[in-house]
Amino acid sequence: MNLVLLGINHNTAPIEVRERLAIPSTRLADATRSLLHQPGIREGLILSTCNRVELLTLQEDDETQQPQIKADLLRFLHEYFSVPPHDIQPHLYEHRDREAVRHLFRVASSLDSMVVGEPQILGQVKESYTIAREVGAVSTHLESLLQRTFTVAKKIRSETQIGSSSVSIASIAVDLAKKIFGSLAGKTVLLVGAGKMSELAARHLIQQGAASILVVNRTQSRAEKIASTFAGPAVHTEAIPFDDLYDQTPRADIVITSTGAPQKIFERSHGQLFLHARRNRPMFFIDIAVPRDVDPRVNEVEGCFVYDIDDLQQVAAANLADRSREAAAAENIVSREVDKYQERIQSRDAVPAIKALQQHAEDLRQAELARSQSKLADLTSEQREAVEALTRSLTAKLLHPQLTALRESTRPKDSE
Amino acid sequence: MSLLWLKVAVVLYGIAALAVLPAALYDRPRWRHIAIPATIAAVLFHFVSLAEMLNAAHHRLPVDTHETQTLLGLLLAVSFLLIYWRYRTLSLGIFLLPICFLLGLVPAFHPSQETSAFPMIQTGWIFLHVALLLAAYAALLLSLLASLLYLVQERRLKQKSSMLPSLPPLETADQIGLKALLFGLPCMTAGLLIGSLIAQATVGPTYFRDPKILLAFAMWLVYIAMIYIRRHSGLRGRRAVYLSSFVFLVVLAVWAANEFSSVHRFTAP
Repeated sequence: MNLVLLGINHNTAPIEVRERLAIPSTRLADATRSLLHQPGIREGLILSTCNRVELLTLQEDDETQQPQIKADLLRFLHEYFSVPPHDIQPHLYEHRDREAVRHLFRVASSLDSMVVGEPQILGQVKESYTIAREVGAVSTHLESLLQRTFTVAKKIRSETQIGSSSVSIASIAVDLAKKIFGSLAGKTVLLVGAGKMSELAARHLIQQGAASILVVNRTQSRAEKIASTFAGPAVHTEAIPFDDLYDQTPRADIVITSTGAPQKIFERSHGQLFLHARRNRPMFFIDIAVPRDVDPRVNEVEGCFVYDIDDLQQVAAANLADRSREAAAAENIVSREVDKYQERIQSRDAVPAIKALQQHAEDLRQAELARSQSKLADLTSEQREAVEALTRSLTAKLLHPQLTALRESTRPKDSE
Repeated sequence: MSLLWLKVAVVLYGIAALAVLPAALYDRPRWRHIAIPATIAAVLFHFVSLAEMLNAAHHRLPVDTHETQTLLGLLLAVSFLLIYWRYRTLSLGIFLLPICFLLGLVPAFHPSQETSAFPMIQTGWIFLHVALLLAAYAALLLSLLASLLYLVQERRLKQKSSMLPSLPPLETADQIGLKALLFGLPCMTAGLLIGSLIAQATVGPTYFRDPKILLAFAMWLVYIAMIYIRRHSGLRGRRAVYLSSFVFLVVLAVWAANEFSSVHRFTAP
């Protein structure tokens, strides 16, 4: 069997090409079925995310067909997506057998992702596997490979810190809030102004348990509209008139500002007043606005913590650097796991040959015994058992060198 | 035999104290898997050792300095495990485990020869008096350490530093500090009350004219004042550390006064 992986990703293809090959999850089952109907394909799986489209196939073991495999898969892509082959071919990469296993391990462990260590990719690989299994495109060989892939990805998550630090602004804001408040359950978030990033940060905070969202905007109707987008059974939302901003701010544990105001909205004295009103309970200001809405001196007030967009980006850069360091350790784990997997596959490949040889020898032994049956007819049952044991022992001894050679031939060369 | 168990416990505290550094400072989970089991094993050996030690001396309370030290170490180690179980933070272990190690080190390798001179130490009330006051001291130490952690974490967040990523959140440190104080208050109150009743029955009213006894009651008042201030003004951070440190110094003074006083000693001079 040949394991062949063909694909494009964010490193090899621009978005214009990737979007033409992207398969929505609703069509993934149909696409996998079509892939399975291609000539020579025994098992197959399609991984389609915003950053990659990959076809993982297990093909018939026919060396004369090998150059044809890539052409067949290219034709499949061309037919299924109506994209001319010359548009795809320059961006395609191809991995076979050992390298295909390594690539799959790296992809599932998020070592090949645009943001190394991001956690979504493992879920996406699992989703592709589930769909392929449902349509009967994954059975023995790919099943074993994918189970191993999930184990390796989990091992890398638990043995390295590759995914422990956040790299997006919204998740960094959540992490910092947790460093201050521990649990975010029941916390109140105040959004001052509107902006995609601030709303995204607020959504992350709600996901982590924040219970109230207060929205302040110079235009009250805009504030109400934003507040309504956060409404949910476990979330209290409230649009606050801009004039009440300073009276209502002490209610908030976390303040996210993103106004276009040219001057500061919160000065140091405001921080002192808020803390006094909150009886020193800490406050976290996330200032995403440029120019800034929160005077940096608010950070000097005991209990007030101010992070502006540059601070958040610096944390992101530092966390990315940490992930790169951890990625080196993860690559070592992948290499070891690829070796182990190959060793297991090779010894598994030798099992049918060993069994066939043993069966052939047993058939010969039985045939010879049957041929000599008339000459052995006078033997007592003890003598018959002795002859049985003798022939069995002889067969085993004669086979021993061949079986040993077969087992040896399946071991990886570097361990010899 | 008790010394052997104590030596084992001390070695395990040493291992845990070393393992907790990478686990708490650099967030290395593998080291946590060493630090926590080592501490649990140390606590078990420590408990067996203390029970055997007291049993062999034919009394039920820690009489001499070494026995008291040992009990205090055990209380601190147990409190570390309880905090880890409740808040999943190892950071207090950075301070507590070396303290447990040091508190056990001298009794394990240089055992005391002090002998009991007071028959009253055989009573369970005295044991309660000593154990409750030790628990209050341990709680106060915990509160001080938690306030220090709060201060370090606050500074780290203010300076936007990426160092020490696994310190406990501010609110957690604050809760540990306050809950430790709230736990310590009834211990200290009951400990002092039991001590006063025993003193009244054995030494008489002159006992209460001893300045160090008055200091002990002053300590209790300061302790209550500290809890009141922390609860009602939401005192946190630097000022909480100052206040805890002040009360801790008062407690140390009371401890030292009791150690050097001839009235309030259960061991022969």
